[in-house]
Amino acid sequence: MEIIVAATVGLLVALGVWMMLDRNLVRVVLGVVVIGNAINLAVVSVGRLGGQAAAFVAAGEVPAQAANPLPQALVLTAIVIGFALFVFALGVLKRAWVEHGTTETDRVTAQAETPAPDLPVDKPASGERA
Amino acid sequence: MLNAVLGIALAMLAAPLLSRRMDDRAGFVLALAPLAAFAWFLAQVPTVAGGGVLYEALAWVPALGIELAFRLDGLSLLFALLVSGIGTLIVLYAGAYLSDHHHLGRFYAYLLGFMAAMLGLVLADDLIALFVFWELTGVFSFLLIGFQHEKAESRRAALQALLITGGGGLALLAGLILIGIAGDAWRFSALDGTVLAEHALYPAMLALVLFGCFTKSAQLPFHVWLPNAMAAPTPVSAYLHSATMVKAGIYLMARLNPVFGGPEGWGTILVVVGAATALVGAVLAIRQSDLKRILAYTTVTVLGQLTMLIGTNTTYGLQAFVIYLLAHSLYKGALFMAVGAVDHATGTRELGRLGGLIRYMPLTGAAVALAAFSNAGLPPFFGFIAKEFKYIGLIELGPLGWLTTAVMVATNALLLAAAGLVFLRAFLGREGRYPRVPHEVSAPMWAGPMVLALGGFMLGAFNNLPEIWLVNAAVQAVSHGPVEVRLYLWGGLTPALLASALTITLGVLAYRRRQSVRHHLARWRVFWQISGDLLWDRLLKRVFLFAGTLAGNFQHGSLRRHMSLLLVVATATGAAVLASVGGAFEGLGGFSPLSVAGLAGCALAVAGAAGAAVMRGRLALMGALGLSGLGLALFFLAARAPDVAVTQLMVETLTVLFLALVLRRLPPVDGVGSRTPRTRRLHAALAAAFGLMVAVVMLVVLGRPLPGDVAEWYLANSLPGGHGANVVNVILVDFRAMDTLGEILVVVLAGLAAAPLLGGGRAAENTGAGGRKEFGSVLLRVGVKPLAGLLLLVSVVLLWRGHNLPGGGFIGGLVAACALVLLALTFGVPMARRLLRVPPAWVAGLGLACAAGAGLFGLAGGGDFLTGGWIAPGGLALGSPLLFDLGVFLAVSGAVLHMLFRLLESEEA
Repeated sequence: MEIIVAATVGLLVALGVWMMLDRNLVRVVLGVVVIGNAINLAVVSVGRLGGQAAAFVAAGEVPAQAANPLPQALVLTAIVIGFALFVFALGVLKRAWVEHGTTETDRVTAQAETPAPDLPVDKPASGERA
Repeated sequence: MLNAVLGIALAMLAAPLLSRRMDDRAGFVLALAPLAAFAWFLAQVPTVAGGGVLYEALAWVPALGIELAFRLDGLSLLFALLVSGIGTLIVLYAGAYLSDHHHLGRFYAYLLGFMAAMLGLVLADDLIALFVFWELTGVFSFLLIGFQHEKAESRRAALQALLITGGGGLALLAGLILIGIAGDAWRFSALDGTVLAEHALYPAMLALVLFGCFTKSAQLPFHVWLPNAMAAPTPVSAYLHSATMVKAGIYLMARLNPVFGGPEGWGTILVVVGAATALVGAVLAIRQSDLKRILAYTTVTVLGQLTMLIGTNTTYGLQAFVIYLLAHSLYKGALFMAVGAVDHATGTRELGRLGGLIRYMPLTGAAVALAAFSNAGLPPFFGFIAKEFKYIGLIELGPLGWLTTAVMVATNALLLAAAGLVFLRAFLGREGRYPRVPHEVSAPMWAGPMVLALGGFMLGAFNNLPEIWLVNAAVQAVSHGPVEVRLYLWGGLTPALLASALTITLGVLAYRRRQSVRHHLARWRVFWQISGDLLWDRLLKRVFLFAGTLAGNFQHGSLRRHMSLLLVVATATGAAVLASVGGAFEGLGGFSPLSVAGLAGCALAVAGAAGAAVMRGRLALMGALGLSGLGLALFFLAARAPDVAVTQLMVETLTVLFLALVLRRLPPVDGVGSRTPRTRRLHAALAAAFGLMVAVVMLVVLGRPLPGDVAEWYLANSLPGGHGANVVNVILVDFRAMDTLGEILVVVLAGLAAAPLLGGGRAAENTGAGGRKEFGSVLLRVGVKPLAGLLLLVSVVLLWRGHNLPGGGFIGGLVAACALVLLALTFGVPMARRLLRVPPAWVAGLGLACAAGAGLFGLAGGGDFLTGGWIAPGGLALGSPLLFDLGVFLAVSGAVLHMLFRLLESEEA
């Protein structure tokens, strides 16, 4: 199972990164979610996968091969926080579209940012190349 | 001492308010602070003159051994008297000079702040404390020079002064730290010169400290900032840029003279640099026609001479240093203030338009006369004694001294001519062409120069008083060993007297023939063209250009290029770590068996993500992303993590909902990520490399046994310690509750921040419309209400049982949010809001309050914050962690609903 999980995490991360390099902000936001998922998967797995029972303890007796509860607790909150972050990113995406009428990352940058004041006027900031 | 600095700092804080309440009379009140300090220091004169040293220390950064150590010896006392005494006069003067300025309060604040810092500087015994005060004076100087910030000239001068002195300050910090480490002592009074001299980095210390001192005290070639700093209002020029701050470098050199001063190195550098500065300053001074700039360049000259005198390290040289320091502060402060008064009265400082002013401004004129005579070094003024002793001290030096004496004769002759310009040209002779009819200035404006000028005269005439009370102790503090101090006006017919006579003759000659002197000087055109100011401007332009180009290349604003660079670095770092671990795959055989559910979950997750990565349609994207999340939930279930799985499920539902609501307003997404195939290939390679690196890291990690027994501890203590069977939940609300508190805070904050972005920045009108038309089906409308009610009930049950069974605040909160979302979608947000009764943001806030309040039980029980407390009335186990979980429930559902309601409202509007 570990090999499968490692491959899955790698694939998810690669796909997420690929999406974040996209020129469309929508896919960038989705990429954030995919990478978040990959990391959650990785954290749960790093607590080791061999557990035979969920981490519940009945009166006085601890199950012999319980799953590791600590990464589960971490990931549980991480999922909710990741969701809040995702909604925030979505809000930024929506605002960018409303304000600038485009969802292309570099065009948004060029429209939203003024060039550095110290640069000579004849040389535009290189970021404006789309 | 500490009280003196603190008192003036308090006056600084009170200044703006006081100035607003009392208008121009505030100066009289504010001047009390430096006056009190002056009186206190004056009262210490007998102690210090008798060889005593006062010491005060206050622990500041005990961990680093830094303390606010103040030490009052002869040198410090002299400076402290100058700072507080002249400071008092300047505060009064400034009130009259800037009486109609609308930011007078701010000016007072800066001035007093500077005063406190300067006082701290001259009193500090700790190396680091001195540096902090040193930099503070620089900052206040910046603020004061740029006080008239609407003028470009002022801003430029302020920046120039800050950059030069600040740059020097950095060097000084390095130098002081080196000294502290090498000498293993962080106090000036504990430094040992012989220990330092044996250290390998001795030349570096010397160079760094001198660099700091030279920049601060405007020595060649850093003198350019001082004349430009005259853009400041005149009280500032009089105080900071002649009497006090520019002497900070001098002070430090004098302070370190007993440590560094030896026959070689230090002394030679000081004499040569000082003499060169003095000569250049004098030559430049005689060329000016603006009274204030003349004074500025003569100040450069004097600073050079003071540096030189420290370098002589002869009996007379050091006496001359102390006398000259005192004399110069008195007469130059007076002259600056008087020039400000002239400017104030006539509206000009141009020599060509002045003359005969004594008729209109007799009191100011008298003060200028007294000060100028002292400046010119004529007997019986204090300046004369200073000049005499200077010559004797230099002649004592030998060959170098004779050369320097020749330079000094020329320099002092020019100074005398400059003094003549200031008094004779401006106040005597025929009437000038003033822009407006002059008048005598008000009392605070003439009193300042008069007091200082008279002081210079009295100290010279009755020179045994300063000798006993001030000069002696100061000289002892500056010199290596004990020095015999005796001041006199008439020392017989000595070479020094001859040099003095020569100086006066030459000076008078230079004044009478000033036109031809200027004419001759003007011929060296090349010299004036390479003036430091021009070089400075070019240097600054280059620096800005370089910084701009550099920033442009890295801060290009392209998200994709930033990402690419980050990925390259991250991949390389990860690969390097992997390579260093080496031979990583231990225990390949120890892998856990495959499970069907787990495999299916992984496959779904990857397939969904791949779909989201390449598909075009918005609906397809949402579906793919949802699928990926569901796959993950399935995997979590297979990995024996039911709580995580349920959370993932709920979040995935809400994710798709939010995505659907936002994406429907956006255009379709292109199938390809980049325009050019080359970029696509590059990005694919980057993503693949990074993914591969992560996968290998995972393999290496998972191939090893889990270190530590944290999991076992939680499993064993969950029930006895946390009263809960669901270990994951107990960790969240009890063992690691502090983390959870922070996390729900983040969720709520993110919700508050995202809501206005999603909702278009405004709450929509209460339309009262009956929900979305997509949800218009009767069947749906009838069915949703019981369903939502059921969901709400389930959410409460989940919350309640969460401590022992799958569930808890996070899951319950998400389920409750889903229930209300369902209602809001079907019947409209207003209906859902009515049902909720309070705004969802309040619910979230209440949740945070609940969670934090639950922590107080622990405090009340005598334990730490968030320690769980349990009671069991009638067999029903109740504890503060349950209250905490309720807080989580409310915070999560409130935050989610807050965002969603705003989004829906903006869509409906």
